[in-house]
Amino acid sequence: MHQPRLKSKVRCTDREVGEITHVIVDPLSREVSHIVVGGNGAAGRQVPMSEVQSVAENLVQLRSASSALAQFPPLKRDEFVTTHEVEIAHLEDHLHVEAGEVLVPLPSLERNVPRRTFFTNLTHAIGALVALPMAFPVLKYLMKPMYSPFDNAWLKIGNVSRIKADDVGVQFKYKKKVKEAFMPEAEVDKNVWILKASPAVLEDVYKGKDMEFHDQNGQLVWTNKKDVPYVVFSGKCPHLGCGYKWRKVPKLGKEIFLCPCHLSIYDPAGKVLDGPAPRPLDPLPIRVDAGGNIQIIDMEFKAGTKAQTRIV
Amino acid sequence: MSGQPNLLEKIVAFVDERVGLKTIQAKMLNEPVPGGSRWAYVFGSVLLFIFIMQAVTGILLMFYYVPSADHAYASTQYIIHEVDYGWFLLSYHFWGSSAMVVMVFAHMSQVFLWGAYKSPREMIWLVGLALFGIVMAFGFTGYLLPWDQRAYWATTVGVEIMDKTPIVGDFMARFLKGGATPGQMTLSRFFVIHVMILPAMLMGLAGLHIFLFRKAGPAGPFRGTADELKAKTDYFFPRQVWKDMVAMAAVFVTICSLAFIEPVVLLEEATPDPGDYHPEPEWYFLFLFQLLRLKIFSGEFGQFLGAIAIPGAFMALLAALPFIDRNPERNIFKRPVALIGWILVMTGILVFTVSAIINREFLD
Repeated sequence: MHQPRLKSKVRCTDREVGEITHVIVDPLSREVSHIVVGGNGAAGRQVPMSEVQSVAENLVQLRSASSALAQFPPLKRDEFVTTHEVEIAHLEDHLHVEAGEVLVPLPSLERNVPRRTFFTNLTHAIGALVALPMAFPVLKYLMKPMYSPFDNAWLKIGNVSRIKADDVGVQFKYKKKVKEAFMPEAEVDKNVWILKASPAVLEDVYKGKDMEFHDQNGQLVWTNKKDVPYVVFSGKCPHLGCGYKWRKVPKLGKEIFLCPCHLSIYDPAGKVLDGPAPRPLDPLPIRVDAGGNIQIIDMEFKAGTKAQTRIV
Repeated sequence: MSGQPNLLEKIVAFVDERVGLKTIQAKMLNEPVPGGSRWAYVFGSVLLFIFIMQAVTGILLMFYYVPSADHAYASTQYIIHEVDYGWFLLSYHFWGSSAMVVMVFAHMSQVFLWGAYKSPREMIWLVGLALFGIVMAFGFTGYLLPWDQRAYWATTVGVEIMDKTPIVGDFMARFLKGGATPGQMTLSRFFVIHVMILPAMLMGLAGLHIFLFRKAGPAGPFRGTADELKAKTDYFFPRQVWKDMVAMAAVFVTICSLAFIEPVVLLEEATPDPGDYHPEPEWYFLFLFQLLRLKIFSGEFGQFLGAIAIPGAFMALLAALPFIDRNPERNIFKRPVALIGWILVMTGILVFTVSAIINREFLD
């Protein structure tokens, strides 16, 4: 069945009774629920769609006689709003109540369809021509500080006289000068853990081999000799990079390294006893002179990986 | 001269004729709410309100804040201790972010329990998930800006977690940090992300979210016949607007109270030596933090599983939800898998958050 149109004539079984002055839509079903039949100055009547027998091009046929029209409620306009004032989702998909299609002529210059396609493609091409040459410079611009050479300078961080017992972690705090991009040189606080290792612990750390440290091009920077008893561990937890502590754990009855972040526990040799860490603590290059002064190279390694990858 | 419009009315009529203000206003307010207004529908409007307040307080904070490693901490301390009501605006912004996360969870839960993500509203749900990600990114990037120890270590650990993404992880982490370790470049990047990129993304996507919502129309209650719904239907204005306003006022009073009772206090200035500080993220990331303490997430693979794979799979599941769950039934009491799933996820988050808090005592 057609949808009833505005201005259509309305016929009852016996005679024509007027025309459609309004169409009422159910906002939930989005279907036409009533037509309003009026005209000739009379108040419109709300006729439900169930009363409509058929809808032709410009004529709506009702099932009832004209005498029955008065039983339908009159339209009270202020009980309704227009669809311009209320948002009914997808109303236009359901309704075709306009008196006819509204047409606007396409300008004659616009009727050449292949040319329109050409211009669409040209627009995209010019857009790409602007965007593509920008992509690489922008990426390089943003990547500028991402990869910088390693710093292999030796830092003086204290004296071994602070270490009183074997296999006990002693924290050495020190200042490191950093010069980042345009910033003035600044000092940041850092720390490492140093222990004087007993032969057994030393064996656990070095596994009987000297330990080599390399620059990013693979060049050898320093070798920790396996018989030097002073071992220095980077202060950065190899799990996710927090700072760990030397702690007495009553449950274990001994002292260990504990990271408070995700509760990784390491023995004095840096071996993982418990917790989520994927590898032992990272030893750093250390040298101790005759006077007991300690120097280290402040390296950092990527956290969270099984393999040890230097990043600073 | 009672019949003559006054100057103001003339101006309004002039503008309305050219802009169509009255039509726009009518369209905005006359949105039919099937089944009528409800308190359960306030969360979206409340989120918009919280965002606007975050934008206002955030802009005000930028009048004094300096995003540089040597001034960020001092300028934040200046806001807290020297600037009139600086402590209040900063604390409002801080607690506002928590309120945002709470309301996002409430909003998502409501949509999930009401089955409102189902056809034809899949796109609204997807855009909503993107907005969820943006809210979390706001929390993460904003946390670094005061440049105290809490900020520094939450960022250090958070970026390390991102680093665990296969193949692109290292690049992403370095890209965000602007180097191998957190520093000035990280602060600059987080700042521009927090105050420019995320707000632009949020405004665009929130606009799209609301546009799609208005296009599909509100889903309405999950039970009731068409006639019952029609009988109870009203417009967005005034009953729903009233409920939204009450909820916004309640949230505003709550955030203000928290700002008064628990104003922001900074720790020591950020530095790569944590000292006595036990690093911990903001409370809404605690459950993830606690999850990574589990033995099953140890080692390189376990970490990938706990930090990337499981949260990623969970988000992917949420995104796929409207396409997997094609059953048009919206009543949560007739969707046992959805109900049990929601209870499990919420309980899981609660249990892990509480155990992270209990763990604190064990550390001290």
